[in-house]
Amino acid sequence: MMGAAAIQQFRKRWQHSKYLEGLLYAIGVGAFVYLLTHTILFGVLGLIVTCAIAFWILKPWKISSENAVGYIDAHIPQAGFSSGLLLSPANELSDLSKLQQYRVALQLEPVLSKLRPPHNLLKAALVMFGLMLMGFAARFVLTKFGNQSGGESSNTEQITFAPKDSLTNTTEVPQLIETNITIQYPGYTGKATLNTVDPNVKAVEGSRVTWNLEFDGNVREVEMDLMGEHIDFTKNQESYQLTKKLEASGFYSFTFKDLDGNDYVSDLYSMEMVTDEPPMVQIEGLDNYTYFEFDDDKRLMLSTNISDDFGIDDAYIVATVSKGSGESVKFREEAVRFDRVIPKGNKRIQLQQALDLDALKMDPGDELYFYVEALDQKTPRKNIGRSETYFAVIRDTVTDGFAVEGNLGVDLMPDYFRSQRQLIIDTEKLIADRPNISEKDFKFRSNELGFDQKQLRLKYGQFMGDETEMQAAAGQVSNVEGEVDHEEDHGHEDNEDDLLDEYSHKHDSENEHNLVAEGDNHEHGNEDDVDDPLHDYVHNHSDPEASTLFEKSLKAKLRDALDIMWDAELHLRLYEPEKSLPYQYDALKIIQDIKNSARIYVHRIGFDPPPIKEENRLSGDIGDITNFDKKEVFEYQMPFTSTRETIARLEHLILGGKQFNDQDSALFIEAGNELAPKAISEPMKYLKVLQGLRDLEKIANRTKEKYKEVQKNLLQVLPDVEYNPRKKAEYRDEINLLYLKELGVYE
Amino acid sequence: MNDGMVLVNQNLLVPMILVGLVLWAVFIWKEWSQRGERRFWIKLIVSFLAILSLVMTLLKPSVWQDSISGKGIVLTEGYETSQLDSLKSIYKRIQTEDYMKGRTLSILDDVDSLFLLGRGLAPFDLWQLQDKSIAFIGGKRVEGWTAISHENKIPFGEKLHLNAKHSDLKTGHWAILADNGGNPLDSVPFEEVDEQLIQLNAKPKASGQFVYRLLEKDSEGNIISEEPIPIQVLEGKPLKILMVNTFPTFETKYLKNFLTEKGHELLARTQLTKGKYKFEYFNGASNPIYGFTVENLKEYDLLVMDTDSYTALGRSSKEAMEEAVKTHGLGVFVQPDENLFRLAERQSPLQFDRDFITEITLGVPVQSVQKYPLEFKNDVRTQRISVDSANVAAYVPMEKGKMGTTLLQNTYQLFLDGKEELYAGIWTQILNNIAREQEALAKWKALTQTPRLDEPFQFEVRTSMSGIQVTTDKEANIPLLQDGLVQSKWKGVVYPQKKGWNELKVSNDSVAHYSYYVFDGNQHKTISQSETLKANLRQFGSENTFGASVSASKKAKKPISPFWFYGLLLLCLGWLWLEPKLSG
Repeated sequence: MMGAAAIQQFRKRWQHSKYLEGLLYAIGVGAFVYLLTHTILFGVLGLIVTCAIAFWILKPWKISSENAVGYIDAHIPQAGFSSGLLLSPANELSDLSKLQQYRVALQLEPVLSKLRPPHNLLKAALVMFGLMLMGFAARFVLTKFGNQSGGESSNTEQITFAPKDSLTNTTEVPQLIETNITIQYPGYTGKATLNTVDPNVKAVEGSRVTWNLEFDGNVREVEMDLMGEHIDFTKNQESYQLTKKLEASGFYSFTFKDLDGNDYVSDLYSMEMVTDEPPMVQIEGLDNYTYFEFDDDKRLMLSTNISDDFGIDDAYIVATVSKGSGESVKFREEAVRFDRVIPKGNKRIQLQQALDLDALKMDPGDELYFYVEALDQKTPRKNIGRSETYFAVIRDTVTDGFAVEGNLGVDLMPDYFRSQRQLIIDTEKLIADRPNISEKDFKFRSNELGFDQKQLRLKYGQFMGDETEMQAAAGQVSNVEGEVDHEEDHGHEDNEDDLLDEYSHKHDSENEHNLVAEGDNHEHGNEDDVDDPLHDYVHNHSDPEASTLFEKSLKAKLRDALDIMWDAELHLRLYEPEKSLPYQYDALKIIQDIKNSARIYVHRIGFDPPPIKEENRLSGDIGDITNFDKKEVFEYQMPFTSTRETIARLEHLILGGKQFNDQDSALFIEAGNELAPKAISEPMKYLKVLQGLRDLEKIANRTKEKYKEVQKNLLQVLPDVEYNPRKKAEYRDEINLLYLKELGVYE
Repeated sequence: MNDGMVLVNQNLLVPMILVGLVLWAVFIWKEWSQRGERRFWIKLIVSFLAILSLVMTLLKPSVWQDSISGKGIVLTEGYETSQLDSLKSIYKRIQTEDYMKGRTLSILDDVDSLFLLGRGLAPFDLWQLQDKSIAFIGGKRVEGWTAISHENKIPFGEKLHLNAKHSDLKTGHWAILADNGGNPLDSVPFEEVDEQLIQLNAKPKASGQFVYRLLEKDSEGNIISEEPIPIQVLEGKPLKILMVNTFPTFETKYLKNFLTEKGHELLARTQLTKGKYKFEYFNGASNPIYGFTVENLKEYDLLVMDTDSYTALGRSSKEAMEEAVKTHGLGVFVQPDENLFRLAERQSPLQFDRDFITEITLGVPVQSVQKYPLEFKNDVRTQRISVDSANVAAYVPMEKGKMGTTLLQNTYQLFLDGKEELYAGIWTQILNNIAREQEALAKWKALTQTPRLDEPFQFEVRTSMSGIQVTTDKEANIPLLQDGLVQSKWKGVVYPQKKGWNELKVSNDSVAHYSYYVFDGNQHKTISQSETLKANLRQFGSENTFGASVSASKKAKKPISPFWFYGLLLLCLGWLWLEPKLSG
């Protein structure tokens, strides 16, 4: 029956659309899984599983003829809710039913083929494309970020090898299957042995590093390339082993050969040596200078913080006591142990100790310098750390009353004899103080300064031969002017002796004496010392240089200075220090001039020619003299020659003018070795370059971009070329030569 | 008018006359029956005229005439449209043509006066306008780099000096010289002026052929333009030096140490006493030298001697030395002392004036150096050697060689002060200038400033080699044109076929090759433009009016209009057709 067949067809179409729907979902999921994992197997698996689930949910086989009839009746009015009749065999139907069946079959025939079974194909297709899109997106994200992290992990955590040359594909590439790096720290650090796979080693100085490499293929020899130095691994059953003591920072890489002689090279790894820091010592709560009076309780509490990176071995106080002053100073050094026993190996300790100055047998006027020294446990030689130096002084009660009678040090000029500079300072101070002091006081001080000015003038005057006033220059003069007269009785000779004794050091030779005096730069002493040579040579008429060249001008200058001092004194005596000041400055300036010219003079006479054998002198005998020959060869090589050559070679490679060959490889290794020493001191700057050069060993990296990158980096780190005169090639043009020749002729 | 009758189709003259005569003969034969009558003779004349006019229409006779042909406009790159418009409003229906590089202008046949708008024709196309009257009007300003000049070949260890001009200066922009890797070497900020001369220096770090870059960057560091700077860095050779001293000085000692540590072959001779010397042989030097002869001096590149040795030279030694200088190119450096400055002109070619300055400052950071209180006398021959733009030394060229000295004294003090680099710099500069140069076989010069693909690259080569043959790197021979006056000068043209480095080789010598860099179309664009502009200005001048003389003296061939001959033919044929009817 035709009607029944049409309904069956419709049912089939319905089922097909359901299957298709399920398949679409399955394809979507399958594609998603495939894109995510990039494995066909997972994709197919996903497809099948989803397919099964979708079919189980949609159940297309369950669509029966009744379902179809129901759908047709609901959607086609022409069916008149009687399409079910079409399925019934004709002999089972009543006549009326037959009639209806016939009518329905007739009416349904054109419509039924156009009726679409209910479906969700559009939705399914959308879901499929959506899943595919998601798959692509996920793939993109994974390659972008996944690779980065993946690459990093392989770089930092594992050693990877790449062939140095292109390989014949027939051979199996030996694989590194196990890497084990053992770092054994020195015993004193107390650190446990560290096992790692990270080839970038960072350890304390003196650590022992052991590399254990295991390959699954057959490997002929394994080497470590430590900045140009090749160290062989020893074979230990299945694995290769190398132990090295860490003595310096550097870079290394591994190379191995397989049985066919193919070379493989690893990346460049760093080996960083951490030096053991010396202990840090700090003294707390104490001023750098501590002063004690004679009757104080002379105890010093000091509290110390000591820290070290691995452990402290010992600590103590080093105390130095100085007694006396000037040339008679004496030092005594002793180590003071802490009361507490120092626990060994602690990383941080705090110590308290009282220093009893009496126990150190210190007297008033003595000084104590002390610091704390700490040692760590480093072997073979311990690191030593020390604190700042602190001072403790017991004030000397006697020095305060120090009198003129004491044996004078040069720098302790008694105030009765002031230098011109001192006079100026005092005068300025007096001017500044004027509003605050009484009239009488002011006048007294001004007068006093005038006296000092006089003293100074007299002192210089004696060198000028102003002998009548010389007696006032030195000796025991009080501040009172009147006493000067009294002093006049003193012998002139004595005074002069005194003067020299006090303000200069007398040595054996005149010459030496002058040299020492020059170096003696104390403010007061200087002026006087400088005068001494002058004084000597004024009377030394036998020396022509002294009596003519210098003496005259110096004398005139000194005379000027004395004249000005007169004026300065005058104004001081008139209680007009302001007016006196300019004169004082003038005097100072001239005195400085004299001092400086005297200095040059001292230099000039400081040469003693070596003695000459009289019998050989001017004999003209050169018989024994022969030619003297000397031969020497300097191996000069411009710094970084190979590196510079590498740059030119890379330019060739970039332009594509030549192929990479063994010579290039050798050159690049040489360049790497040149740069390696630099890299240790500045790893940040050079590591990239070194790695780049090393990468060129691998065939995969020999690309134009890589060459360019390496070249750029090389150019960046290379220092400038040294200056060196060179011979240049130049063409000599006949016209130019002719011109030059003519120029010479008519010159 | 009659003096210059020319036939355009001169080649057809003989066949035309023959054909005409045959035609006339046929006509005469046809009319032969009427002979004896008067009209026969008239017909003969008329038919002759008809045939003549026929022949003439084909032969096209023309006459020289004062040119009265019009004006035209040639538009080249960068012309101002406003100029074109105003020209068009003055000369209605004026012909214009756009110029394309390398293509012949068709407008030239019709016009004799041309307005040239824009930056002009490429230099190799200028021949086209040779006999035309040109008003070169110019065009838009060239914006960007208008000139870049630098040494093409630099001895390794010396500085590259690059001078460039920029005409489109924006504040905040920078000119940067970068090396072949792209690392910046030197930079100059732009100022707010119309055109700025920019000077950049850099010391190449490696020898070879490189392409440096001249970059223009804005204040944010974006690259605005990038021009390639092709350079060749050539490695020099160590020197062979002879040092002669009467007594040892610190100056000599440090100079000796400096030179020997740098690998130069050096023989130092110091006099111990009369006839006895101390000889020091460094880096392979050998054979002691007592008296100077041309033979023993000619193998040295440089002779360093103190003033006392120089003044004490015997006549024969001095002559030998001068001979070695003149013919073999030996360089002589005299270490100065006060005696040198007092020498008369016949004793020493170097002459001095007092300047009473005893110190000059050099280097970065600035360091003062002692100097003799003198300066070199101004003289045609004296060539000054300067370090940091201070004249520190000078030399006098003597044919192939040179003789020089310095004004500095106690330069070893620099070495002691730890300024080794400045010391090395000063002496390198001085000795490089004085030492003998190795003789090269040929000297090349590019006449085309910016070589480009498939455009003529003109070059000049000077060589003493006879029968020089130049080939490209593809072994193609380049014909050379020898200069008429200077035998050693040759010229040639080559059309480069690849971008980047190209090479010209001398077939009978492998050393004397020449490399030149061929630029891409986008590179050095503005420079080419300004070069074109300059070449056109040179050719046509900057006056934008026509030269009167060119216009007046110009004559052109003008064919006689064929209508005259048609008319004559028509009249003749008409007569021949009408005459029998009238008479009959």
